[in-house]
Amino acid sequence: MRITTEAKAAMRLKIVETAKLLFAERGFEQTTTRDIAQAAEIATGTLFNYFPTKEAIVQELVDEALRAAEVRLSEQTSSSAGTDLEVSLDEELFAIVAAGLRALKPLRTYLSALWQTVFSPLASATDDSDSFRARHLECVSSVLVRHGFSADVAPNVLQLYWTLYTGVLVFWTSDKSPKQEDTLALLDQSMRMFAGWLIAERPPSRRKKSSA
Amino acid sequence: MALTVAQLMDALPESEDREIEELAVADRVADPRSLASMWPVPVGRFHRLRLLGTLQAKIGAAYLFHWVRGWFRNAEENKRLLAETHWKTALRVLDSMTYLRGAVMKLGQMLATLPNVAPKEFIEALDCLYFQAPPMHWSLLRELVHNELGDDPENIFASFDKQAFAAASLGQVHRARLKTGEDVVVKIQYPGIARTIREDMRNLALFMLPSRLNRDWDCLKDQVDDLCLRMEYETDYEREASTQEAVRKLFSEDDGIVVPRVFREYSTSRVLTMERLDGVHLDEFMATNPSDDVRNEFARKLLRSGYRMSYTGRLMYADLHPGNFLFMPDGRLGLLDFGMVVPIEGEFWELMRRMDRGFSTGVQADRINGIKEWSWITDERQDAEPLRLLDQFTDWTWRSRSTIGEYDFCDEAEFRRGIDLFLALLRTRFARGRSQTLSISRLNFGLASFLYRLKAKVAVLPIAEQEVRATGWDRSEYALRCDA
Repeated sequence: MRITTEAKAAMRLKIVETAKLLFAERGFEQTTTRDIAQAAEIATGTLFNYFPTKEAIVQELVDEALRAAEVRLSEQTSSSAGTDLEVSLDEELFAIVAAGLRALKPLRTYLSALWQTVFSPLASATDDSDSFRARHLECVSSVLVRHGFSADVAPNVLQLYWTLYTGVLVFWTSDKSPKQEDTLALLDQSMRMFAGWLIAERPPSRRKKSSA
Repeated sequence: MALTVAQLMDALPESEDREIEELAVADRVADPRSLASMWPVPVGRFHRLRLLGTLQAKIGAAYLFHWVRGWFRNAEENKRLLAETHWKTALRVLDSMTYLRGAVMKLGQMLATLPNVAPKEFIEALDCLYFQAPPMHWSLLRELVHNELGDDPENIFASFDKQAFAAASLGQVHRARLKTGEDVVVKIQYPGIARTIREDMRNLALFMLPSRLNRDWDCLKDQVDDLCLRMEYETDYEREASTQEAVRKLFSEDDGIVVPRVFREYSTSRVLTMERLDGVHLDEFMATNPSDDVRNEFARKLLRSGYRMSYTGRLMYADLHPGNFLFMPDGRLGLLDFGMVVPIEGEFWELMRRMDRGFSTGVQADRINGIKEWSWITDERQDAEPLRLLDQFTDWTWRSRSTIGEYDFCDEAEFRRGIDLFLALLRTRFARGRSQTLSISRLNFGLASFLYRLKAKVAVLPIAEQEVRATGWDRSEYALRCDA
């Protein structure tokens, strides 16, 4: 029997939603792929056809959350376009990361499953163009261009940004301050430092009015 | 201990730093805050510790150096050096404070309330801290409000001004309108500032370690512990909201003194939403050249508010700086910011009752008795000099309270005398006193310098005597009569 694309998508969704519930109930470490399959009323083998590992399910959840954040961010940007306030480079970068953190909040406790892969500072730059890293850096690049930087942003600049970003994420997942307020301070200061460095590095003729 | 010129010269920054320093200063003159605001906030305790130490050394050295050098120079050159020293120091302080944010900024605000200790250029630079500290941008604010109130500011409020109109060490203030139509201000705290302050205070305690050998260590430690506690209170907006509500109840419409209403449903420990009052601060008010009558009426309200809070509310307003008062167009005085209000309760209240005679009659024998009890002064020989200075200083502090008729707060020589006495007291390193001594000193200096800047000339006695009745104390043996 052939399985339609729609049925495949529905099954993926079912697995992901079931896993989300179980992670929330028992914690990521305590949940096995067998538990997820059992709760989704499918064979473990079927689950592996869709997700080779438990981490792959988390990656799907993260991807889904971050796509929603990207939509929200672009809506926010377009609604504030035309207002008098000039948005600084560090603020724009802050907003991108903050939107992601909000979306990832329900997943915060098991985000560490992705430190070695998606959110590693060493995550490959040659990933497929639809990977989260590629999409995120594309978004950062477009902000940089808007602030007068050249369209072909040097790879080391983006690598430096990515390292800062993943550092903030790691800090956030183990942040014990009330409502993770220390992460906001760290993010604010990291983006200010990055933007300040970038502007200072720009050749004098191109510095113009852009501020950190 | 007398310092030699050579020691002061040594305390100044190294000469090889000069070139770099001059470059840095020239760089910052256009906008001293712009550079500092780009620096990351230091997180390591020892990095901060080193900075704090450097800062104290620089300010202290620069001022002492100037005072000593001034004795040997002709007036014209002196003036030039004065401006140069003040400006450089102000810039250093401004930079370091922006950098450290927390408690050091509060120290700057305390200095700024002393016009004659800190010269004009210095005060102007420090005054910026009340309202022009580097702002949090909108995206950070949105996250903070979302964290605290559960939704974005644009969904919670009918309108929310993205630009802060006031900023200080702990938070920044935005104008907004509630969906029910009230104009409000929303004070939002910079994330993690409470811990920054605790760190700074621990550093301060480390700096005081050499004082352990001093016989007054325990008292000094008590006072600093007390200040640490108050600073922690100040970072808790929920606590501040409760105090503000308590103070608001102390005044009626006839008093012409207003405390903004708190909107609890839009407030948390990190966000404080309150009614917006129209008015201007001290400098702006003085720039309008108000008449003597208008200035003095405001001074009377300021004094009444202080006495009412102390005697009826049993609360001490220990953060008396110009940024916390509004001169309203209809002649009312607005009181703002209740983070640094100290409760006068239990033993402290009882002590106040016993001190009343010493500080309100203007009679030296009463005053000496009061000082002896307050500062545990003995009849030992080493206590004689501190007692003499404390008597003069206490007389200076409370003289307006026992003066029959008007007291002239803008007498510069008299104001200078108080500062000199205070410095002389500091030089004796005498630190014995109650844990509330620091807060009371802040209040008294703040009040004296505020009234000095307001050029006030008012009768304090009738206001004080009227307000003290609320205590119900039996004062029949010593109370002064206002009509005497």
